[in-house]
Amino acid sequence: MAKKKVAMELGMGTSLRRQDYTKAAIRALQDALWHNSLTMADAFGFSREDMIVEVEIGVQKPEAVDIEAVKAILPYGKGSVIVVHGGLDIAKPADKSLGKPPADTDKTVIANAAVNVFFNMQPATNKGASA
Amino acid sequence: MKRLILEMGTGNDLYGEDYTKAACRAVQDALHHSSLVLFRSLGLSHEDMQVNVTIGVQKPDSVDTKIVADELPRGNAVVTVVKGGLDVHDKDNDTCSVIATAAVEACLDINPDDWELTR
Repeated sequence: MAKKKVAMELGMGTSLRRQDYTKAAIRALQDALWHNSLTMADAFGFSREDMIVEVEIGVQKPEAVDIEAVKAILPYGKGSVIVVHGGLDIAKPADKSLGKPPADTDKTVIANAAVNVFFNMQPATNKGASA
Repeated sequence: MKRLILEMGTGNDLYGEDYTKAACRAVQDALHHSSLVLFRSLGLSHEDMQVNVTIGVQKPDSVDTKIVADELPRGNAVVTVVKGGLDVHDKDNDTCSVIATAAVEACLDINPDDWELTR
């Protein structure tokens, strides 16, 4: 027995004006992480550093996300980040006074984040021996 | 009982001044930012889970705790309400928006001696 998923956390983040996909991804990750306080490591008698933290980000331009910058948000554990095509981009309304359609850069960027938390764990093999 | 997670959320009732509705929405917000996957992964039972819900609103007496407790799908839920949250008064338009904060603690009787890390 080995890697066991113990929790999943979900979040959403945006970049309203700068089309910054990394910033949106970081905010989505922070939204996911800071809505919850995981105390499972303590409950099982493990260290928080034993946590395996796998982050999945969804944005419309995955190649624009700085993965190391996103990973730097994780406060502890063994972290990894993957980015897939997802999230949502929404074009801003056309500026009628300029008489032109919105440019590709005039959009609101939304990122989704899912954080999966694992431990390499199993039922104690020497159960009762320490009692 | 060991606490597994503290889930936090916020909810509001913008125009109805319904503190129970705001509290229920806060609980839903708290619940749906995470999933306690370990019950499936480790074969644990939800029925043994103790769920402590604390609601913060400006008028605690206006919250129907029975209705809030029904928002919790699993475990044994105990709901307490304290003065907190925020009421946003708009004097110009004679409206009041009520904001509720929810803290949901999930606890389980885990014996650390029953589990170990694998290398």
